[in-house]
Parts: sequence; C-alpha cells; structure tokens
Amino acid sequence: MVDFPVANMDLTRRNILAFAGAALAASAAAFFPIRLVRASTDTSRAIAAFTKGAVPVEGGVRIEAPEIADNGGSVPIRVSAENARRIAVFTDGNPYPGVAGFTFGKGVTPTVSTRIRLARSQKLIAVAEMADGTYRATSRPIIVTVGGCG
Amino acid sequence: MQKPRPRVKLPKSVVTGVPFTVRTRITHPMDTGLRLGRDGKRIPRRIINRFVARYNDEVAISVDLEPAMSANPYIQFEMAVQESGDMEFEWLDDDGSVYRLSRRIKVRS
Repeated sequence: MVDFPVANMDLTRRNILAFAGAALAASAAAFFPIRLVRASTDTSRAIAAFTKGAVPVEGGVRIEAPEIADNGGSVPIRVSAENARRIAVFTDGNPYPGVAGFTFGKGVTPTVSTRIRLARSQKLIAVAEMADGTYRATSRPIIVTVGGCG
Repeated sequence: MQKPRPRVKLPKSVVTGVPFTVRTRITHPMDTGLRLGRDGKRIPRRIINRFVARYNDEVAISVDLEPAMSANPYIQFEMAVQESGDMEFEWLDDDGSVYRLSRRIKVRS
C-alpha cells in the first residue's frame, strides 16, 4: 500500500478540511508564480518570462503613480529600484500584460518616468532584476476614470 | 501620418559624476492593433518598439516598448557621465524605420 499521510488519519471533518486547504494552497501556488501580487495568469506568465521562472520577492521596487487617473490614455508613472539592472512593468487588466522593459547601462540611475495606457482600473506591477541576479516586485492599484485603449 | 519627430531635452552643461535628467519624446500614434478605424476595420499595429540611448558608443539605456505605452512615447531617465561626449538616441518603428538624434554633452568639472 502506498504510504499516503491521509490514509493513517482519522477522517474527521477537521482533518479533511486541513488536507483540502493545504492541497488548494499548493495548487494555487503552482498556478500563480507570484502570489504576492496576485496577478492574472497572462500577467503571471509574462512576469515568469521576464524572471526566467524565478519568483520575485516583494518590495525593493518603487512605483509612483496617481491613485486616480483621469485619462487612461496617458498615465504618468515613475518606477525605480536601487541596484536594479533591469525593470519591467506589467498590468493585470490590459489587453496585453506587458508595458515596457528597461535595461540600465553604465552611469544610469535605475529610475525611469514614462506615460502608459490603462484600459481600466487595474494593478500595475513592476519587477526588477537586481545586480545580484535576484528579482523583486511591487504592485500598485490605479483607478482609471476614462480608459485608454491599451 | 506625419513623420515622427524625435525630441530630447538635456541640461546645457553637466558636472562630472553628478546625475542629470534626460527627457526624450517622439511624436508617434503608437497604434495598438486593437482599435477599429472609421471603416470598422482594425488599424494595424504600429508602435515604436524599441528605444536606445548610447553615450560614447556605450548603451546607457534600452527600452522595449509594448502597445501599452502612450502615444508620443515619453521616456525620462537620469544618468551621470565622467567625460564630455556624444549621446545618440534611436527609436525603432514597427515599420522598420529608425529615427535618430544626437547630442553633444559637455562636462564642466
């Protein structure tokens, strides 16, 4: 007989729920590579492609953007991450998840300002590849009153 | 469409090792490929997909742009240089065009 932990457990309500909960959490973890920003699958996939599968640690990246954007066609944002060599920006509610990827060379501060399109209220996710090869990520919700064609 | 016109704003002079701001912009519709034209047909995608700035032939910043970048894409960054030199800016269009701009940066110590 296969040694399955549940087999030896009493099938009480508590045990069943505990097992179901653990299984659910495990499958969710596999499904969403970055649980911390809870992005849609398309976005998760795009982020995983950027990080080459690595799971970014939350924090270390700063997103400056308005809380409420009147014009989704042009939302000013500023992203920065100390010691980053690359930063990529993603959204979880646009037709395509990617927004832009920045690679910083010699003498350039890892800070950029730009203007982006947001089709509706959604989350902005910035992922940074640090000089040591690790990944950090931060997300920030933005409310859009008039959507721009993303 | 009018021919895209690149623009760059730099300080008149910079100090060795002190970061300065570089503002870049190009007039471009950044058609996402999702919008419908007046005839009900899709306007084909046409965006600036890449931007590169080089200082003395070394890449300072490169950007991969997606359709979610606003029309007339604006990119602002900060950099510091050790010596005077030439900064070259390059925008790559989906249609294969390349738009270039070059600026001299003078360093005062």
